Amino acid sequence: MNSPADMAPPLVTRQLSLSYGRGNARRSVIDALDLQLPAGQVTAIVGPNGCGKSTLLASLARLHAPDAGAVLLDGRDIQRLPAREVARRLALLPQDTQAPEGLTVAELIRFGRQPHQGLLRQWSAEDRRVVEEALTAADLHALADRPLEAMSGGQRQRAWIAMAIAQQTPLLLLDEPTSALDLGHQLEVFELIRELAASGKTLAMVVHDLVSACRFADYLVAMLEGRIVAAGKPSEVVTAELVRELYGVECTLIQDPATGSPILTNIRSAGARAN
Amino acid sequence: MRTRTLTPPVNLMNRRHTSVPPPTGTWRLGWTLAGRDYAVLIDRRACFASLGLLVVLLAISLLSLCLGSLALSPREALAGLFGHGAPMNVFVVRELRLARLVAGVATGAAFALSGCLMQTLARNRLATPGIVGIDNGATAFAVASVVGVGVSLSPPPMALAGAATATAITFALASDVGTRGYRFIVAGIGVGAVFGALTQLLMSRVAIDAANSAYPWTVGSLNARDDVALTWLLCGLAPGIVVACYLARAMRILRFSDAVAQGLGHRVRACRYVALALSVALAALAVAVAGPVGLVGLIGPEIARQLSSHRGVPLIASALAGAVVMVAADLVGRLLLAPIEVPVGIVTAIVGAPFLLWILLRPAPRFQS
Repeated sequence: MNSPADMAPPLVTRQLSLSYGRGNARRSVIDALDLQLPAGQVTAIVGPNGCGKSTLLASLARLHAPDAGAVLLDGRDIQRLPAREVARRLALLPQDTQAPEGLTVAELIRFGRQPHQGLLRQWSAEDRRVVEEALTAADLHALADRPLEAMSGGQRQRAWIAMAIAQQTPLLLLDEPTSALDLGHQLEVFELIRELAASGKTLAMVVHDLVSACRFADYLVAMLEGRIVAAGKPSEVVTAELVRELYGVECTLIQDPATGSPILTNIRSAGARAN
Repeated sequence: MRTRTLTPPVNLMNRRHTSVPPPTGTWRLGWTLAGRDYAVLIDRRACFASLGLLVVLLAISLLSLCLGSLALSPREALAGLFGHGAPMNVFVVRELRLARLVAGVATGAAFALSGCLMQTLARNRLATPGIVGIDNGATAFAVASVVGVGVSLSPPPMALAGAATATAITFALASDVGTRGYRFIVAGIGVGAVFGALTQLLMSRVAIDAANSAYPWTVGSLNARDDVALTWLLCGLAPGIVVACYLARAMRILRFSDAVAQGLGHRVRACRYVALALSVALAALAVAVAGPVGLVGLIGPEIARQLSSHRGVPLIASALAGAVVMVAADLVGRLLLAPIEVPVGIVTAIVGAPFLLWILLRPAPRFQS
């Protein structure tokens, strides 16, 4: 088996341009962006609010059609692939995860099999096996019959990731998977993400917290005003200058003594430097 | 080249495959055809709910054939239905009550199925054709054709045109939100009010005879049915139910947010357009028969949801519940102040208003953020 790093990047953008709105209200968000997601790794996309990172993720998942350029999934234009075909290769955990009332964890995970099923092929031995595996991977067996409403934020987010696992896609995109979660629950989700990368999946996530991004991602993409300003290994690309450029704040970077990943300390607003 | 002969080991394997344990609460119907495995899951609770509603519908239907100014025993009514017994009984059952019963069942089913479709695609229980003004649009156009404003189409196509017009205006007003959220509902209520006023205006401008003939359309009644309109409805309802059965699986995914549905490879937009077109057409055809008895579109799906499983969208159960409500309301309307008849639209309004209040005032459903 090839090591993941040798494989071609499964998801690539070529001169991708995205915009929002219609007619006169049209606003360009991303202009001629080139990006490659390294195979078998976790990519974190960071940047200030409104830098276009969520729009980019939506476009990577075929939800947002580009004005120009293309998103290539395994070398083919994603917009020209049928929706079901895309859903068998790429799973998405969006921010807006509204679910029907009363749905249980196991029922939610079963929906992940949807792209592999048909009107007359609703429940195969394979479906059953994959759902069991997803429950195991997300450590949700004990909660399988619990309604989603009755679970903690971290458990619920794990259930959504388990649904994406049941899709059996080599690619998984996550839009702010840990927003609105407390520290313990964030860790729960990030550890699951690391396990999925270890099992050979390629993951990309939009993350707000730069420190978590450094800690849990292999590859960091920093965006500002629709451009990529830095991309690479977190320990190599994250500098005090980058933090100032992205967020307009001063900080001192130190290394986490346990993991070696960068940590931001002594954070202060850029104006405070003069004092 | 595909081989046509199946060796026994393959068959045995397939038999093992088709006995996969189903998820809790469902039955799995598996079979093998030409070497491929097929399986359909049947939701047990939804199945029982539909069967139960069917039994209730049959019972209330029999009751409505029995009761009236000429009271018959169930045995007499059934005999009359099949052309036996006293000629008077046969006439009353077959000519008077059966046609009315068929109209009640068909309109009730159409209104409720239409309501359930629209509630699901708008993801809001208030979004039924009766509330978002589609019934009123259909009514205004149907009344226009009856009181004669230079249009010579019969009520059903006019009702369809009216419903389509109201829907188009509502969509234009709610623009970027699509069929989502309160913007769509508020715009629809406004459009419905305008069409309601238009109906009143039409009624006030014509001779009293013409106004009388259009009266059923303004309150909702099964008394003055038009057989042509009923034929239109039945021709629309039959394929409508088939399409609804096909849509049921897709509609389950429409209950998730759009991003989730699209992430699962679901063609959200296409599905929503088909469901909307079906919903509007069924509401319009039902209005052409019975007038705006739109609250059935709210009550029917609500009953179905209470009885049925949370796993699916109870389209068939809604249609059955709507038929039960319509036939029961018509029966009450016929008997309550006999020999005076209370129009079915008024009965459902009296029953439906508390339902509407309950939906508005009950604690908001807990959706996860």
